[in-house]
Amino acid sequence: MSQTIAARLSRRQFLGRASAGTAGLAGILAARVPPAVAQKRELTMLGWSHFVPESDTRLKQLVDRFTKETNIAVRSDHIPHAQLAAKQAAELQTGAGHDLVMFYNEQAWRYREHLIDLDDLVGELNKKYGTDIYPFVKEAFFINGHWKILESIWPAFPGNYLQSKFQQVGEGPPDTWADLLRAGKKLKKIGHPVGIAISHCFDANSTFWAVCWSFGARVVEADGKTVTLSSPKMVEVIEYYKELYATAMEPEVLSWDDSGNNRSLNAGKSAWIHNPVSPYAVAVARKLPIADDINHHSTPAGPAGRFFAPTVRGYGIWKFSKNAEPAKDLLRFLYREDNFREWIQAGNGFNHPMWRHWESHPVWSTDPKLKLLPAEGIYGRMRGWPAPPSEVFGVIDDLYILPDMVAKAVGGMPTRDAIAWATDQVKRAMEGARS
Amino acid sequence: MKTRAAGLAVPGTQAQPVRLAWVLQRDGVLGYLLVLPAVILLVGLVAYPFVTALAFSLSDAVVGRAGRFIGLGNFRSLLLTDDIFRQTVWNSFVFTATAVALKTVLGLGLALLLARTLRFRRLIRGAVLLPWVIPTALSTLGWLWMFDSLYSVINWTLLRLGLVGQPLQWLGTPSLAMSAVITVNVWRGLPFFAITLLAGLVAINPELYEAAGADGAGVWARFRYVTLPLLRPVLAVVVLFSTILTFADFNIVYVLTRGGPVNSTHLFATLAHQVGLQAGKIGEGSAIALFMFPALAVIVYFQLHYARREV
Repeated sequence: MSQTIAARLSRRQFLGRASAGTAGLAGILAARVPPAVAQKRELTMLGWSHFVPESDTRLKQLVDRFTKETNIAVRSDHIPHAQLAAKQAAELQTGAGHDLVMFYNEQAWRYREHLIDLDDLVGELNKKYGTDIYPFVKEAFFINGHWKILESIWPAFPGNYLQSKFQQVGEGPPDTWADLLRAGKKLKKIGHPVGIAISHCFDANSTFWAVCWSFGARVVEADGKTVTLSSPKMVEVIEYYKELYATAMEPEVLSWDDSGNNRSLNAGKSAWIHNPVSPYAVAVARKLPIADDINHHSTPAGPAGRFFAPTVRGYGIWKFSKNAEPAKDLLRFLYREDNFREWIQAGNGFNHPMWRHWESHPVWSTDPKLKLLPAEGIYGRMRGWPAPPSEVFGVIDDLYILPDMVAKAVGGMPTRDAIAWATDQVKRAMEGARS
Repeated sequence: MKTRAAGLAVPGTQAQPVRLAWVLQRDGVLGYLLVLPAVILLVGLVAYPFVTALAFSLSDAVVGRAGRFIGLGNFRSLLLTDDIFRQTVWNSFVFTATAVALKTVLGLGLALLLARTLRFRRLIRGAVLLPWVIPTALSTLGWLWMFDSLYSVINWTLLRLGLVGQPLQWLGTPSLAMSAVITVNVWRGLPFFAITLLAGLVAINPELYEAAGADGAGVWARFRYVTLPLLRPVLAVVVLFSTILTFADFNIVYVLTRGGPVNSTHLFATLAHQVGLQAGKIGEGSAIALFMFPALAVIVYFQLHYARREV
């Protein structure tokens, strides 16, 4: 076939047509407008691969429904959550990428001038769902008087435990970190240790903040500038970790990624983990027998109170997006009461919205093992608290400075040396960061 | 014919084909034209990113903000005050030296085995290439499961054989984690060494071996005085390429350990990714990545110098 075409074209004709084609392509590139025949509205959306896969499946179904209603095609991409930060950075640096992008925690502060305001959209939704919003969500996504991200998920971070193992050692669900240590020592002896990640993963950061605050320790003072890692309270935190690691955990926690503790609980090995309810949600969805044994209790308290650091997630729209309005329409559609209810349900207790209005959703009342979750919101704090929200705490988390401090200490480094190392690293992380 | 006539009727287009032909017929011009696509690719994909990275490394830029020019501030701060970076430098040299040494020795052994007349020779040679052909991220995920703290088949085997009393924490202990990432790198890079050295081996004239044998040379002497000297240029090039690729490795560490435990497996590329893209400190991240450049330049210089002398 190609021979036939070649035979029909003289060299001059070929050059003429090729140059016409090149000129046409150059015109399209210069105008940045595709020819009419290729014009079809398409939205692109980037999110994480949810730890409860059914949530992503339902999101896909909702997005397909949006396409049917509006004739706007939507491509929803999902990548492992640990890769989101690098992908966002690449999109921003090149000025090209998805219209809607998932952001979490302090990222709205990092990218605030590159995200469009969503005040109108949040205003509309507040009329429906009220203005009673969890404070940590507002601190994360409401910046200098403007909503930059529309929250979709903040997962509670309770204790996940195997009831049979705790009964076996004569313990109930631990109310405090001290209770956990006591029970953990017995649990390890029967081959079912406690599992708290001390590694390069999100969970390791989240649990550290919870333990740190519960013992009354701080990383940065309320002024947002003074590094207060080096304190007697922090020594208590590290000493607690050291004892827990030596007597109630196994070295595997030093290698875990964010799925490590989930798998360990669902395999029936770890008797206790600090995590959102995804192991249970997955066990129920896949009809694993371990689901009957898993239960949850409030995140443990310490001498200074009960705290945890939720990973707050939501969607934002880049300023370079050429589809900002259709992207907002998609969010309007997803947060429409009927659709939003379905989406929350699919998370099986994982997907907490920012409005307390949704605490009455049946997903948390029909299953007694999930009933405690909405009330956990009162213990949530933004990373870095009591310092005001700042991109620096995202950097501290992204560099895993705090879990590394613990890992150094449990690995044999003297506690004060480990804290001094982390203090230097936190100061380095703060250089150039904006509050 | 009609087309040509129509073309001639348009003012200004008449002389164009003639001029184009005249230009294309000049060897000097045509040569440059043919090289142009490669130059564009090199400028776009190598020179531009390199210069951009250089500019970033001299600033305190974070993702989305241009930053200020700070000269060599990032380099100075990394060297003098960041012990994670200093550990990464050490890790990179240990990782590269060990992995390349193992690949050289094992690759040469494998090439000598493959050079022998074997049954199913083609099948075996094809199979040897598999680790090199499979996408690294995919094969490393397989290794991740093999090193997993809960489901490690390696631990299962060691425990069943009674070689260890309790499961080894392959990715949780600094020394074992480094061994794990080196093992995967060697596994993946071995076929490249074996097949390239095999090509060098089959190119050696068999008469040289016959002559050496006639002079009373044994197996070791033939290897020492015939095989090795004639293989040296190929070996030098293979080691050069492998050193560069190993030094700049990213996938294996990123998938297996993410630089942990306690930064004991971070390489330049993974630390640059963590600092520059994940934490958004793109100036500092670029400086980390660029630290590879002088080290690699020195390696390339010596290897090429050596290879040229041998050839």
